[in-house]
Amino acid sequence: MQSASAEETTQRLIFSLSELEQLGETIISGHGNFNASSKTYLRMILGTLQVTRGAILLFHPTENHLAIEASINVKDESLCIPVSSDETSAMLRFSVIDLSNPPAGLTPFLNRIAPQLKVLDANFWAPLKIRDEFLGVISLGRFFAKAGMEDWARELLNVLANQTSIAIAYSRLLDKARGEQFRLFHLSDVAVEICKQLDTEAVVEEVVNYAVALLDASAGGLMRIDPLTQRLEMKYVFNFDLTPNAERQEFSIPLKTDGELSPALSMLAEVVRQDRPLICNDVERAGLFGRKKLMAVPMFGRENILGVLVVGDKEGRGGVTLDFTAEDEILLTAFANQAGVAIENAQLYQEALEGRRLQAEMEEAAKIQQNLIPDTLPEIPGYEVQGLYHPRGNVGGDYYDYIEEANSSWGLAIADVSGKGMQAALLMATLRAGLLSEVARQKDLSSMAINLNALLYASGTPGKYATFFYARLQPETDLLTTVNAGHNNPLLIRSDGNCQWLGTEKGGAPLGMFPDDMLLQIAEYEQETTELFSGDVVVFYTDGVTETENLDDELYGEERLERAVKRLHHASANEICTAIYDDVMEFQGEAAPFDDLTLMVLRKT
Amino acid sequence: MANGFNVDVHTEDGYVVIQTAGYLNDPTGEALAEAAKEVMADGYNKIVIDLEKTRLINSIGISILIEIIELLEEQGGVLNFCNLTPVQDRIFKMMGLAQHAGIFPDQDSAIANL
Repeated sequence: MQSASAEETTQRLIFSLSELEQLGETIISGHGNFNASSKTYLRMILGTLQVTRGAILLFHPTENHLAIEASINVKDESLCIPVSSDETSAMLRFSVIDLSNPPAGLTPFLNRIAPQLKVLDANFWAPLKIRDEFLGVISLGRFFAKAGMEDWARELLNVLANQTSIAIAYSRLLDKARGEQFRLFHLSDVAVEICKQLDTEAVVEEVVNYAVALLDASAGGLMRIDPLTQRLEMKYVFNFDLTPNAERQEFSIPLKTDGELSPALSMLAEVVRQDRPLICNDVERAGLFGRKKLMAVPMFGRENILGVLVVGDKEGRGGVTLDFTAEDEILLTAFANQAGVAIENAQLYQEALEGRRLQAEMEEAAKIQQNLIPDTLPEIPGYEVQGLYHPRGNVGGDYYDYIEEANSSWGLAIADVSGKGMQAALLMATLRAGLLSEVARQKDLSSMAINLNALLYASGTPGKYATFFYARLQPETDLLTTVNAGHNNPLLIRSDGNCQWLGTEKGGAPLGMFPDDMLLQIAEYEQETTELFSGDVVVFYTDGVTETENLDDELYGEERLERAVKRLHHASANEICTAIYDDVMEFQGEAAPFDDLTLMVLRKT
Repeated sequence: MANGFNVDVHTEDGYVVIQTAGYLNDPTGEALAEAAKEVMADGYNKIVIDLEKTRLINSIGISILIEIIELLEEQGGVLNFCNLTPVQDRIFKMMGLAQHAGIFPDQDSAIANL
């Protein structure tokens, strides 16, 4: 007959094994996790063995230490015990280690960790293992009301340790399987998701975020190659520490020279130079962006490498940081390839949108410009006038106008605003409004030019200006008073064929280029007056005439203009205008147009 | 961008709403599991987890959500998720979470179906 204590022991054993079986089944069924159940295991082990203090410590191979997974009545739950591979190998040889009487091979190790053992208040250790893999230890305090460990308890602890080891192994397999399943589903799913995004910045953000989640990483970033500077520029980061200081250059890494680069920065540049992924599980070397481990892969578009996708610190359960593996590299490379195409697609879409926006802006600008150009010819007694505006390609800034002034005078204006599109059209509209206002005040032309310069300087953006020429014609006296603000000099051909360029001596700077005080130091807008006689012709034009090039890169120039006008200066203003235009077009031939072309011809009959 | 994960727990009459914000991974998942265990220990077994402000979940986050489902099932409780992104919705279905927990478009419908 068994003694009462032996019978109780047997009952406890049966109960504990039954409980352990149930826990094991839970693990295998697909829902359990050792991390969540470890305390329950420990409680059962301690209860079965009648021990009041203990812990399960798991081995973390990347950190080479034992860390508490679950504990009961242990003061410091953050306790870590460094352990070498030789020491883990030594522990594999034992099923139960009596710490008060350790085997000879373990004595140096146990002496070294004596302070930690004291915190654990440990009397016995049972190593946890699957085949030759060391998983951790069950640490037990002293047995309740007993000095040592009886044989039955030693056997029972051995069984419990084996069962616990199986539970840990299953749990890890399950985590791994879940991870693989998650990555498989996630890879195909997020690739579709990022392709839906049409905003480049949003795609970049999604790519980094999904890469981090896909790889179970803690952080990530995307660096794009700037083709102009040949640098890798950080575009978006998730959880990377990018606090700038004097020694940190992670925001922008030169690709061409790495003399001054740290090994970690060189690593990222190497990914681009060698077109291949790099893994750095070395804490010292990967000490980049505040992370311990990094993996970086090149990101390709349809033809070229676009940049580098980088993730940091792969997570394991329980706060451990795992090494990036070759499988991780394949996964991130596959994702980066899809991401590169998605980013390029978004860029192309945005460029197309921008193109449409610019086209719409150009159309609007063209309407504004057309409205500013006169659609009827003035009737000036004793004179013929003809104007011509020929837009070429993008909307330029050419402008001409006839303005009826007081006292029977007429004004003839021609201008060329710098730049293209809406900004040029608006500057031109400002110039015209200012001009009409100045004309109404009947000022001298010098004052008018100074005021128009101030207006354009105040309203324009830096680098925006207008060349401008204004001629005030008094038909009663045949006097033509002019002022030139940096514009092409009009050509006056007398009836006898003699030529004269107007405004060559007394011109000033283009309107809006300089502020008043600086302007007057450069040159004043002095006006000059010329008397016109019957048969005289004045040709006003923009640089679209004289700077037109042919296929030999020759300029049309002032001399050709002069010859063209001389050939038919007895013809009507309309004929002269058409002839000049035809001559310029013939000269240009198949060459690309230079600019808009504007002409205005005044002829004294 | 930093992770900035946090967990807000709102206990109501007979149920609890846990709202998360930020990347649901190992450390943050543990914080969520801890919050769920605390309310279960207080006797609540009807829980809504609102993921509106959690755009990213990794495989460890998924594992932890499975553990919460399991713990609640053991107590005969109900867990509903709401405000999932389309990617999360598909992952939850493919990973089997949707077989053991409800998935609803918003908090009101998740609460109504507890």
